[in-house]
Amino acid sequence: MQGEPSDLGHLQSIMRAIELACSSIQMNFNPSEAEATILSLSQTPHPYQACKFILEHSQVADARFHAVAAVRDAALREWSVLTSVDKRSLISFCLCYVMQHASLPEGYVQTKVSSVAAQLMKRGWLEFAAAEKEAFFVEVKQSIIGRHGVDVQISGINFLASLVSEFSPSTSTAIGLPREFHEQCRVSLELDYLKTFYSWAQEAALGVTNRIVESDSAVPEAKVCTAALCLMLQILNWDFQHYSSDGARSSINVFSVDIRYNGSSAIRSECILVQLGPSWRDILISSGHVGWLLSVYGALRLKFSSEGYWLDCPIAVSARKLIVQLCSLTGTIFPSDNHQMQEHHLVQLLSGIVQWIHPPDEISKAIECGRSESEMLDGCRALLAVATITSPFVFDGLLKSICHFGTISLLSALMSNILKSPMINNPEEETWSCVARDILLDTWTALLATAECSNGIAFLPSEGISAAASLFALIVESEVKAASTSAFNDDDGSDYFQASISGMDERLSSYGLIARASIEFSVPLLTRLLSERFAWLHQGRGTADPTATLEELYSLLLICGHVLADEGEGELPLVPEAIQTQFVDITEANKHPVVILSCSILYFAEKSVDPEIRASIFSPRLMEAVIWFLARWSCTYLLPPEDNRDSNNSLVQDTSQQFRKTICDFFGEHGQGKHALDAIVRISMAALISYPGEKDLQELICRQLLRGLVRRKDICVHLLVLDSWHNLANSFANDRTFFSLNAALQRSLAQTLVLQASGMKHFEASLYVRDLMSHTTAYLVELSGKNNLISVAQLPDTIMMVSCLMERLRGAASATEPRTQKAVYDLGISVMSPVLVLIEAYKHESAVVYLLVKFVAQWVDGQIIYLEAQETAVLVNFCMSLLKLYSSHNIGQISMSRSSTLINEAKAEKFKCLRALLQLLASLCSKDLVDFSSEPIESQGISIGQVVYVGLHIITPLVSMDSLKYPKLCHDYFSLLSHMLEVYPEMVAQLNAEAFVHIMATLDFGLHHQDIEIVDKCLRALKALASYHYKETIAGRLGLGLHAAGFKDSDGKFLEGIISRFLFSLLQLLLFEDYSPDLVSAAADALLPLILCEQGLYQQLGNELIERQTDPEHKSRLANALHALVSSNRLSSTLDRINYQRFRKNLLGFLIEVRGFLRKA
Amino acid sequence: MSDEEHHFESKADAGASKTYPQQAGTIRKNGYIVIKARPCKVVEVSTSKTGKHGHAKCHFVGIDIFTAKKLEDIVPSSHNCDVPHVNRTDYQLIDISEDGFVSLLTESGSTKDDLRLPTDENLLTQIKEGFAEGKDLIVTVMSAMGEEQICALKDIGPK
Repeated sequence: MQGEPSDLGHLQSIMRAIELACSSIQMNFNPSEAEATILSLSQTPHPYQACKFILEHSQVADARFHAVAAVRDAALREWSVLTSVDKRSLISFCLCYVMQHASLPEGYVQTKVSSVAAQLMKRGWLEFAAAEKEAFFVEVKQSIIGRHGVDVQISGINFLASLVSEFSPSTSTAIGLPREFHEQCRVSLELDYLKTFYSWAQEAALGVTNRIVESDSAVPEAKVCTAALCLMLQILNWDFQHYSSDGARSSINVFSVDIRYNGSSAIRSECILVQLGPSWRDILISSGHVGWLLSVYGALRLKFSSEGYWLDCPIAVSARKLIVQLCSLTGTIFPSDNHQMQEHHLVQLLSGIVQWIHPPDEISKAIECGRSESEMLDGCRALLAVATITSPFVFDGLLKSICHFGTISLLSALMSNILKSPMINNPEEETWSCVARDILLDTWTALLATAECSNGIAFLPSEGISAAASLFALIVESEVKAASTSAFNDDDGSDYFQASISGMDERLSSYGLIARASIEFSVPLLTRLLSERFAWLHQGRGTADPTATLEELYSLLLICGHVLADEGEGELPLVPEAIQTQFVDITEANKHPVVILSCSILYFAEKSVDPEIRASIFSPRLMEAVIWFLARWSCTYLLPPEDNRDSNNSLVQDTSQQFRKTICDFFGEHGQGKHALDAIVRISMAALISYPGEKDLQELICRQLLRGLVRRKDICVHLLVLDSWHNLANSFANDRTFFSLNAALQRSLAQTLVLQASGMKHFEASLYVRDLMSHTTAYLVELSGKNNLISVAQLPDTIMMVSCLMERLRGAASATEPRTQKAVYDLGISVMSPVLVLIEAYKHESAVVYLLVKFVAQWVDGQIIYLEAQETAVLVNFCMSLLKLYSSHNIGQISMSRSSTLINEAKAEKFKCLRALLQLLASLCSKDLVDFSSEPIESQGISIGQVVYVGLHIITPLVSMDSLKYPKLCHDYFSLLSHMLEVYPEMVAQLNAEAFVHIMATLDFGLHHQDIEIVDKCLRALKALASYHYKETIAGRLGLGLHAAGFKDSDGKFLEGIISRFLFSLLQLLLFEDYSPDLVSAAADALLPLILCEQGLYQQLGNELIERQTDPEHKSRLANALHALVSSNRLSSTLDRINYQRFRKNLLGFLIEVRGFLRKA
Repeated sequence: MSDEEHHFESKADAGASKTYPQQAGTIRKNGYIVIKARPCKVVEVSTSKTGKHGHAKCHFVGIDIFTAKKLEDIVPSSHNCDVPHVNRTDYQLIDISEDGFVSLLTESGSTKDDLRLPTDENLLTQIKEGFAEGKDLIVTVMSAMGEEQICALKDIGPK
């Protein structure tokens, strides 16, 4: 196909070819050829005339679709060569086409054409003059307000909709321009056009309102109204940035993601705030827009029974959505008249919305009888939107002005109705009542979370508190009922279960907020419900089946935990404000409701220590809840730190002081605190050993409860004097009991026990750690000394023992702190030779070798920075012998199995080992960065750089290209490599040829990796290598020597020098391959020293490249660009910061100039 | 802390029994287990409960280390499972006989002639070619529950 064909016959032949291609694609006849035909249309230069011809004459809709797509592709590609007349005529052609063919049945062609018009308009947006844009929009406006009939009206509105979505950054189509362009378009549209579009949509909708309201059946005008409503909704959903209340946001850079909600309010349902400025006031507020919208929807509601309209018909849905969206209107659109106008606006909206949700019982009955629930759900969403932008007081008052009840009462009535619904506890299906419940819970969260932030002083109206109280009672009742009915369900192990746990967690924290809003009521309620169930269990022991009660207790304990304490997430959680500020008048600690509730649970939990009661009452699942509660509770309440009491927050001081005093006295050092701590330790100990094989439970105890305790130093001090804790430590160190725990949990337990040493003095801590691990080290030493080690080692029980002990050692090593560092060092030293012996003995058992290596890596990581030169030497020698041993076992080894799964597993295990070894080397490197020793390690003749190179040398043969496919290994390897090459490039020269070639091969592999980070690391390594070589050779030294000059390998083949090889492959990559644009500056930094080293080769490569071009114009462009790359911007031949920066600019310009045509060729 | 007794001492002697009991809950992925009287390597462990308030049970997926067949088992996690004694011994290869047997040199200096060549194609060609080229080859023989198989090969000699 030639550019600009003019004769009719030619145009027709193109049309026929395209039509044929479309139909053969549809029939799946030779699709690749057909696709090529269609593609060729869009790749032809200037295909516009042919496309227009097809659009106007073809009977095949698909052909028209592809023609307009071709217009888009070609125009965007050739935009810079088109004249401005061409550009405008293309846009107006598309617009006219849409308007003229508005009544055609093939909607997708229309949509495509109007979106192409929108894209082209956006492409030219910044170059067109205002009058030119105006000219387009005059036509559009004429059609929208209905001058040319209903169909054209719809087309006009749809065009605006595509335009708005093209200009919104999140929905725009890529047109190959930088983000700033999109941003400028967005700002321009937002400031100058959006409001106008909105008013046109209003006008269009108003114009057809009467026709819709007056007619009894569906009329075509309803579609116009629907489209207009959708456009309005779309405009309100726009991410307005210039009207935000603080005004500061307009200056924030465009790449920042702005966060609307702070983390504390866990709002799940979608609720977008619409923040608008004062200029919108006239069309949204004072024009009676809301009144009109409500009256239209009101009129529609009456017609729902008649033909053509129903609850979920498009016009009703979009009207409701718009109403909900208007509920979240906020910002400076409302004048600062003490919120009067905003309240008036909300009251007006609510007056319409209230019919959707009131009275709740009748509505839910109707829904159960088959009515659609969407209106009711939208009503709930509107409440959520209102709650998000108002304070609880205002929220409650809104309805009072028009009804005899407040909004909070309506909210709680709605909620209780939904909780009573029989469908609510059906976990298999997401029913409407679950959706409604979640939205309403979010509404409560929105109301209460704002109140929480404002210190909670009388934040809710009193009716609100009582509403929350009765609601909480209902919630608990419903949860308990759900628990007892589901107690016998056996639906576990599925993926769904996990998802529902996190969903449940979110729900429970909303419940917690509701309970805290009515804390005076909710805490005693929970106490009563719990003690009832405790009593039932004791009475029915041995006779009745307790399962239902157990499950009820399980969910009550979870609720209690969420009410009383917050999730610490690693920080020290404070007592919730609501609990601090209430109960001020109670001075006797043992009458404090929170104390009573906590004590009753503690007392109950303590009974689990009795084996008989444990067997009959405490099922593993119940115990999990107990432990979870204790962990959460103890972080907040147990032995509160003293310094918390003199809090600086003067606002809450006077009220909370009282509370703090009460609780500190009770669970503090001088009250019941120590007793409670003792109880918790005894409960944990008993649970750890008496639930064999209950991994989840054991994990909770080790990883949450005990770990949480030792996290606080003041608790460690108290643990020190507890007999129960001594018991625990003693049996861990000396008994076989804890070998029944999973090995990973033993590691965690060892870590916890060693961490507890932070409560001791230096000397004591060392002794304690030694005692704790003495049997472990003794066993390993003894085992490694056995004559028949090889056969003993392979016995299953020995393997298990060694695995467990290595995990324990690793746990202890990971808990290294200044206070325990010496003891852990000695620990490691004493098992050094056993570790080497065992690595030998277990050379076929990579799972065990992994544990051994992992321990060493952890140990070195914890120790290295503290060690003196002498100790470092010992450690380094040990690491080297370990590396040598490992590599001698694994080089040249071929394992085989019939099962591919087993082979893959074995490979994966090997790679895990290798990764641990790389980590070991990496932690050795850190000695050069941080060093606390008294004399430099060089005094002992150690150079870390050399040591690590030797390590790399040993390991690299094991790192195959195959193994680099494992992302974690790959990452670690290249981090280490780039670090080494950057910090110690001079050592590379000392590597032997084989190792060097291998390292360079991996570097080449890394350059072509798809992970940007890895490519970046490789580029940094290259830069370091090349700049080292350049600087050295300038100074007249050897630099990389033979490696750079090229040499013959063992087979006599000549290998090119490393610098020239990478110069070639980097240029190749930059010019011809795909990569992320983010890498260009890193590549520039590597390329500059490479070119400087090998200027001759650069010229030669450049000439070859120029020779390959056939087009003389391309030849000269390429020659100029290659020249400019190394000469423009006053580039010099030094390697300093400024020069690097200049070269970055040069390279970017070079790539923009030549990459396009080079790659096409 | 008391150190009156050394609990950790290994009680079993070499070659004492073919299997060893271990609590199901402590068996990890990549460990060994006996399923349906076959020695297996564990490739997957998952736990579930018998009823909401019942006890945990472990679900093991294992692969027979000799036949590569996939086997599964469910065991209450507090119960014991049998763990096979998997032994691996290195021998130097001294001869390959024409009837498909290999002749191996033991550490004590005697020969072991009762082992067949592996059926795995790849390993088989590696052994045959390596032997033909006169390389010094070490083969690793895996044995468990009375069965033996060559499972790995290593070239230690000069070319």
